[in-house]
Amino acid sequence: MTGLGEQILFWVLGPISVVAALGLLFAKKAVHAAICVALVMVNLGIFYLAEQAPFLGVIQIFVYTGAVMMLFLFVVMLIGVDSSDSLVETLRGQRWAALLLALGLAVLIFTAVGTVTFGPMQGLDDVNNGAGNVSTLASLIFGQYVWAFEITSALLITAAMGAMVLAHRERLGQRPGQRVWAERRVRSGRNVAGLPAPGVYARSNAVDTPALLPDGTPSELSVSRVLVAREQVTTPVPYITSAEDVEGEIEEGYER
Amino acid sequence: MSNATFALEALTGIPQHLAALAPATTDNPKADFSDTPWWLSLVKALLIFVYLLLSTLLVIWFERRVIGRMQQRPGPNRTGPFGLLQTLADGMKLMLKEDITPAAADRVVYSLAPLIAATMAFVSFAIIPIGPDVWMFGHHTPLQLTDLPVAVLLVLAVAGIGVYGIVLAGWSSGSTYPLVGGLRSSAQVISYEIAMGLALVAVFLYSGSMSTSQIVAAQSSLWYILPAFFSFVVYVITMVGETNRLPFDLAEGEGELTGGFHTEYSSMRFAMFYLAEYINMFTVSALATTMFLGGWQAPPGIAAINSGMFNHGWWGILWFTIKLWIFMWFFVWLRGSLPRVRYDQFMRLGWKFLIPVTLAWVVAVAFIRGAQLGYLGDSTVGLVGREFPVATLVIVGVIAALALGATWVWEGKQADKVARESAPPPERIDPYAGGYPVPPMPGQELVEPSPAISGSPTPVALKEDTRG
Amino acid sequence: MTNPYVPLLFLLALGAGFAVLSVGTSLVVGPKRYNRAKLEAYECGIQPSPHAAGGGRVPIKYYLTAMLFIIFDIESVFLYPFAVAFNQLGLFALVEMVLFVLTVFVAYAYVWRRGGLEWD
Repeated sequence: MTGLGEQILFWVLGPISVVAALGLLFAKKAVHAAICVALVMVNLGIFYLAEQAPFLGVIQIFVYTGAVMMLFLFVVMLIGVDSSDSLVETLRGQRWAALLLALGLAVLIFTAVGTVTFGPMQGLDDVNNGAGNVSTLASLIFGQYVWAFEITSALLITAAMGAMVLAHRERLGQRPGQRVWAERRVRSGRNVAGLPAPGVYARSNAVDTPALLPDGTPSELSVSRVLVAREQVTTPVPYITSAEDVEGEIEEGYER
Repeated sequence: MSNATFALEALTGIPQHLAALAPATTDNPKADFSDTPWWLSLVKALLIFVYLLLSTLLVIWFERRVIGRMQQRPGPNRTGPFGLLQTLADGMKLMLKEDITPAAADRVVYSLAPLIAATMAFVSFAIIPIGPDVWMFGHHTPLQLTDLPVAVLLVLAVAGIGVYGIVLAGWSSGSTYPLVGGLRSSAQVISYEIAMGLALVAVFLYSGSMSTSQIVAAQSSLWYILPAFFSFVVYVITMVGETNRLPFDLAEGEGELTGGFHTEYSSMRFAMFYLAEYINMFTVSALATTMFLGGWQAPPGIAAINSGMFNHGWWGILWFTIKLWIFMWFFVWLRGSLPRVRYDQFMRLGWKFLIPVTLAWVVAVAFIRGAQLGYLGDSTVGLVGREFPVATLVIVGVIAALALGATWVWEGKQADKVARESAPPPERIDPYAGGYPVPPMPGQELVEPSPAISGSPTPVALKEDTRG
Repeated sequence: MTNPYVPLLFLLALGAGFAVLSVGTSLVVGPKRYNRAKLEAYECGIQPSPHAAGGGRVPIKYYLTAMLFIIFDIESVFLYPFAVAFNQLGLFALVEMVLFVLTVFVAYAYVWRRGGLEWD
């Protein structure tokens, strides 16, 4: 029999895990789904802790929060931050077919799990209070399962190759650094001192307001080309006129 | 067995008497909590909580004062004696400020993120041993909230969950700067977490346990900062990276990302991130103290006084706090002295230097330990009146030779570089040779400007150039 | 108290309670004077762009970093029990671990050579 505390824990965290798992399926935003996965993983880790497997439990949290973080980034990166699932069916009748298959799978799993008979519970008390949980695990990894352990390293190589193939872009030339850029500017003799800074006015000093050239025309160079492309550049005209108004006031003051 | 323990046994399902039976060769915690009723744990949790909050109030004042001194200005000195209440006043002010949620924000996640960050910051401190066993309310109990066979890993795992606070804050704000800041921060933390975890492996090799009380007990004769000195260096670097502090505070570099992931936050939600940052600093410092500086144990000279009088009872808190604040001072000192690094430099340091070198160090320590334990042969040799295992000497010799060789190669390269750069400048210089005027070095003679000046590439353009 | 996790829950509850309480208090006592400009994303004074940077997409570079993180994470997960139990394991485990580290190092060297560690 399991203890009362463990039962309470199970009946509190179990439903939370199920709800979170369902949230993974039904959340519209990809990031919400990723958060749900993280919650399920943390809950699983806590279950392992309750099952007297502290190393496994902590590693579950340690690795899977990292892994879900990767998934999270992957999701954000691939499909954009704000995108949501489209609920339009692309294949006709797909929803019903999926439901039917899911039901079949559920029946299969339940019948399979239902026929399992459990032996008497052994518990990990002897192991945990003897050499200790981690040491015993280590003697298993480096004893009975040493071959599987070594194979894991091959798996990790595969993972690295896969990530490189999927996500790495070869660069053909050397990427110009800060120094190279500076030298290039001097050699070409253009904008040697860097590009001009945006305008600073009494009422605005944001990067979208161009500076004025000596002849009074706004300098396009002083605004980031991204803002120019987005057509987010404001004109300095109102600031100039308001400055002229102020000047007039001052001059009036002189005359009086 | 009292009523309370019986109820607890029913609650937890773990027999109370088993914990005392642990044999010596185990990686289980050494701290004995069998005489700690649940209410005492609650009291201890409350004390740790208050300790952390007070320390945070104090360290923010401390940081501002010390940085003030480093920059030759007084720092906050008006609110309360020496300005000590400044942080409290700031906190109160933040509480009375408007809490803004941007229109584009994801409201639930936006509210959740600061709560995750702050809550997770508190948890890790539970496994830090603050002192030895003391008598508290008639019970003999260690000055440590709890301990696990995997206590140190728990800190790393909880830190991993804490990052979610940052990355979710960045995402949910629905704004550019926070998004970039959150992504940067998560990439930064995961990159440095590897090196940190690897650095700790060397300590585990010596201590034979991941429980913090065991690690402290194992350092009673020798602090691990000596045998694992390289791990200590790596740990100190990575702990700065992990906590997003200068010079590694790229996630919130104000010059490029305004406030980073918390740009959109205001009022108490912002304060939660601030609090989490400082408590995380305390946690990593406390872990460094525990892993490398002997935890709550008195420094070697003092420990010997009066047959270890200062190593018992409540004295532990004093030593622990002193060591903790040495690290906090170091954080402040770094912030006062170093500029922020560039992001690619930061990632290069993490991935191309810290990780491979720490991995090599761990393997080296494994060999040294193996030699000490006699895995590599038992023959010993007498040197200066003491017996040394041959294997240890050989391994240490090989490692020393490798390190020497590497330094030699590196120094040679550095010397070449210096020689190339410090080659004496030519005696005569044509200031317009490159098309632009270059001032002469001291002792250089100027060539008269040649007519090439008229043929220099482009005079200053009156018309605006196109973007180059 | 022999269940070591219950005190953790205490501290967790204290931290969570403090966070919720202080955020809640500031929601109650803080002023609420909303206007539209206040609710816009902060972009240092320029017109805020409708979406976060790059149409909400971020460089695929981060994926590579995350994947490498997992690889080294798993390596260190194996190193922990090895380190803890080293004084009981013996020479065989040491050799095995060196082989393992070398194999994973092949992956690392490959990624480095291909330029996967360059950040630009």
